[in-house]
Amino acid sequence: MRYNEKELQALSRQPAELAAELGMRGPKKGSVVKRRLVKLVVNFLFYFRTDEAEPVGALLLERCRVAREEPSGFSISFIEDPERKYYFECCSEEQCQEWTEALRRASYEFMRRSLIFYRKEIQKMTGKDPLEQFGISEEARFQLSSLKA
Amino acid sequence: MGPDVLVGAMKLNERSVAHYALSDSPADHTGFLRTWGGPGTPPTPSGTGRRCWFVLKGNLLFSFESREGRAPLSLVVLEGCTVELAEAPAPEEFAFAICFDAPGVRPHLLAADGPAAQEAWVKALSRASFGYMRLVVRELESQLQDARQSLALHRHSSWKAISSRCKPQAPDCWSPGLEKGHSLPRDCSPMALVEGGSRSGRGLAEWELQGPASLLLGRGQSPVSPETSCFSTLHNWYGQEIVELRRGWQQRARGEPGRM
Repeated sequence: MRYNEKELQALSRQPAELAAELGMRGPKKGSVVKRRLVKLVVNFLFYFRTDEAEPVGALLLERCRVAREEPSGFSISFIEDPERKYYFECCSEEQCQEWTEALRRASYEFMRRSLIFYRKEIQKMTGKDPLEQFGISEEARFQLSSLKA
Repeated sequence: MGPDVLVGAMKLNERSVAHYALSDSPADHTGFLRTWGGPGTPPTPSGTGRRCWFVLKGNLLFSFESREGRAPLSLVVLEGCTVELAEAPAPEEFAFAICFDAPGVRPHLLAADGPAAQEAWVKALSRASFGYMRLVVRELESQLQDARQSLALHRHSSWKAISSRCKPQAPDCWSPGLEKGHSLPRDCSPMALVEGGSRSGRGLAEWELQGPASLLLGRGQSPVSPETSCFSTLHNWYGQEIVELRRGWQQRARGEPGRM
């Protein structure tokens, strides 16, 4: 699959939601923990060697599962292969909490569900569709029907 | 020839990305487009381009060889870009380009089958960024907070009216059952509890994608189970309202001047 690597690299330089140096271990058996600068930008998690400007890699965070890993770390895995985990080590419980919460909300799909929820709630409470004022109430991405059960 | 060091390509969790592309996650737009992009293609687009099936999901534009394609051919991440109408190699091509401000990046040239499709694609792609979605979510979030606050104020004054008529009760008892089956003047409606509020949260099977209900719960909200006496007070008060409303409707139905 081709993808626009240059544009992704440019994205990795954008302001991050969260950025920190963490220990990181890849999913392959026998991989070791390495220090990486980890940066959350939109729905991507970029990871850099600590002294380099270009990322080693990126993880798209759609349909990911974020789980706590003892002692103070977390893992990211994906729905099609839950046992294949990327491990991250934090320096404190607080940092771990901060990251896991941010990562769980970092997907486009999470935002979509939030939006649809808020829209419905506002409609129920006020009788008005809050998106009408923006002229976007018919846009496909905001429709409840776009969600499967 | 060139440098003898091959710069390592950036890694991406491609298998997961491809799985996401093929999954039943919502597609914001789909259709056939002609494309001239991709490595190995000449820098100046020519010819009619290659016709592919495109699927837009959120800020990700995937292409497939066909509608039944089992693996995406390409992915364009739609961040930091603008979408503009464009001149295709041949005129009347209904073309548009995705332009990035990243250095050294050529615009992605695409062409639709007709003017309506062209317009629909340009609109859909222009609104595809994560930032746009986030803006709208934040706007609605604050609107919901405002609505809740003004409802709380209303409720507070309604409750004052109730307590002067009935036994005094704590104002925080709401039952979701009340929402159903009672039609009330809007400013007295009990606020529906957070959807699935008692189910959301950390205790769920981890694959249940964290829903927005957990956002509200996380801010210190919790579904309050009403005490029996509280519920029966509410029930009585609403019951009175219903009786009066019904009397009014019946009077009007009989052509008599009534309340309301």
